[in-house]
Amino acid sequence: MALLPTNRQWRGLVLFAIIIVVLGVLPWTVNNYWLRIATGALMWAGLACSWNMLGGYAGYINFGQSAFFGLGAYVTAFLMDDPFGLPFSATIPAGMVVTALCAVIIGAPTLRLRGAYFAIATWAFAEVLIQFASAVDFTGGIGGIGLPPYLNERFFYFAMFGTAALTYFLTWALFERSRFGLKVKALRDHEPAAEAMGINTAMVKLQTFVLSAVTASVFGAIFAYWVTFINPKSVFGGDITDQMVVMVLLGGLGTLWGPAIGGVVLFVVNRLIWMYWGDTAFYIAILGTAIVLVVLFLPNGIAGLFARRKNDALDKVLDKLAGSGEGGHP
Amino acid sequence: MDLFLQTLLNGLLIGGVIATFTIAFQLAFGVLHVIDFAVGGWVVLGGYLGYYITAWLGLDGFIAIPLAFVVFGALGYLIGPMLYNVRNSRTARPELMALALSFGLFTLLRGGMLTAWGFNTRNVTTTLSGESLAIGPVTVPLIRVVAAVFAAAIAGGLFLFLYRTRYGLAIRATAENRHNAALMGVNIGRLSANVYGLYAGITAMAGVLMGAIYSVNPEVGLRYTLFAFFVAVLAGLGSVEGALMAALLLGVIEAFVSTYVGSSYSLLAIFTTLFLVLLISPRGILRRGL
Repeated sequence: MALLPTNRQWRGLVLFAIIIVVLGVLPWTVNNYWLRIATGALMWAGLACSWNMLGGYAGYINFGQSAFFGLGAYVTAFLMDDPFGLPFSATIPAGMVVTALCAVIIGAPTLRLRGAYFAIATWAFAEVLIQFASAVDFTGGIGGIGLPPYLNERFFYFAMFGTAALTYFLTWALFERSRFGLKVKALRDHEPAAEAMGINTAMVKLQTFVLSAVTASVFGAIFAYWVTFINPKSVFGGDITDQMVVMVLLGGLGTLWGPAIGGVVLFVVNRLIWMYWGDTAFYIAILGTAIVLVVLFLPNGIAGLFARRKNDALDKVLDKLAGSGEGGHP
Repeated sequence: MDLFLQTLLNGLLIGGVIATFTIAFQLAFGVLHVIDFAVGGWVVLGGYLGYYITAWLGLDGFIAIPLAFVVFGALGYLIGPMLYNVRNSRTARPELMALALSFGLFTLLRGGMLTAWGFNTRNVTTTLSGESLAIGPVTVPLIRVVAAVFAAAIAGGLFLFLYRTRYGLAIRATAENRHNAALMGVNIGRLSANVYGLYAGITAMAGVLMGAIYSVNPEVGLRYTLFAFFVAVLAGLGSVEGALMAALLLGVIEAFVSTYVGSSYSLLAIFTTLFLVLLISPRGILRRGL
């Protein structure tokens, strides 16, 4: 935990500053159409990062992240609707509290078990919420629920941008630079050993899960206000989770920048397909193929591709140094 | 009272069909240690095979049952080694990667079927479609009774294979302790491929029956994956014996909720039960889970 950044970290910080500046001036350089796409890309990069907190760093697959995204969206929509009419900023903390409670209720019993039970429980929870939101009245049923429209693309761009930046900063600070991150990685790599070191693994996992869920709920809240109309399929739908999983796997599990790379790449592919073929089931098949291919051939994702190349170069140098004593190459 | 009996009987019959593929699902988990999300995909594929046998060749839907076993068993035999290799690879979290792979397969199957066949619902027709059978005061569709009989025959055959043959012994040994089984000369890799093929084939056969009882479209795969998970959690993951009981219970719960509350609540009831079991007794009600 050195206080002063090393050379490599300086480079990272400079890169980070450039990205922030470029994204900061973007709304004044592109038209509304591209601004909406950029807003969506930022949202997905942030959502992928939220999934990566638990999936990548702690090694627990959550197949129901859409539940928390949808909870954030529905709490905001519900509280901004007629009987309450709260302002947007007041609904976000409410959504965060509701989401955190739900995450504790699901996570506390199931995170003690094997990852498979947790995967089933989260998946089932998301499906329960779809069914529930479709069946009861106060959510508007299958018809969904509308929000007061607020037509300011720049506001939503900066809301998504700010939340995404905060998400990445939190991930960096908590998982890459703190004792907490070491604990999380330790339990991912060898849980019994981490427990033997005195880490309260159940607690650490639960904290990570709640953080991941709450992050997704904030994006859900902004998304609902942005699109001004939500229904159970559009915010709880399984394909929302599918996309996050693909983005993180594609970018690289358990890396800081992997989800951002995967999120932006997949979102652009999504928009291109949407532009040429419309809303098609073919996209689901592409998502599935992407998961299968990445798991089989690129288990470390795109980020792993760069890391491996760097290591290969390093390995070669080390090999040369080691080999020079034994007579070198022919 | 008649309605009650009828609902109970209907639920038990459906539960019997669900039992066939959930038993195979548990077996595959026991050997491969992978929760297979693709289970619903295999069910739907079987249903579509049944539909095309009747719609294109004009044959009886039941002819598709052995055919489904052969076709999808072979396909499963080809996919099995992939799952096995990922599950036993040297990546940081093989369990997680295998889970992701099966999830990807499921998504691929669902998307592929939606692209090829669209959202339309298809029926598997048999000579028995539309007939019904009266037992005392209760009337049930004949197809359900016959399907349950077929299902019982398939499950019975599977149990005979598992408990009366040498290869069945090897499978049970592997499910119990793969390390020791390997020491006894079982080729775990090849056995895993065979078991996955067996499981895919049986699941597709159950899919033909499900297609004959209800109907089939690519989106119902999710529902059958849920059924398999429900049974797996209730019985405890990997417990083959508990699966039969849990599947019958599932059929009854579904039938009663559909009849007395409304069919739109049946999935909600199943999910909620699944969820409560996970909260209260996470290793299954029989506490037999791995």
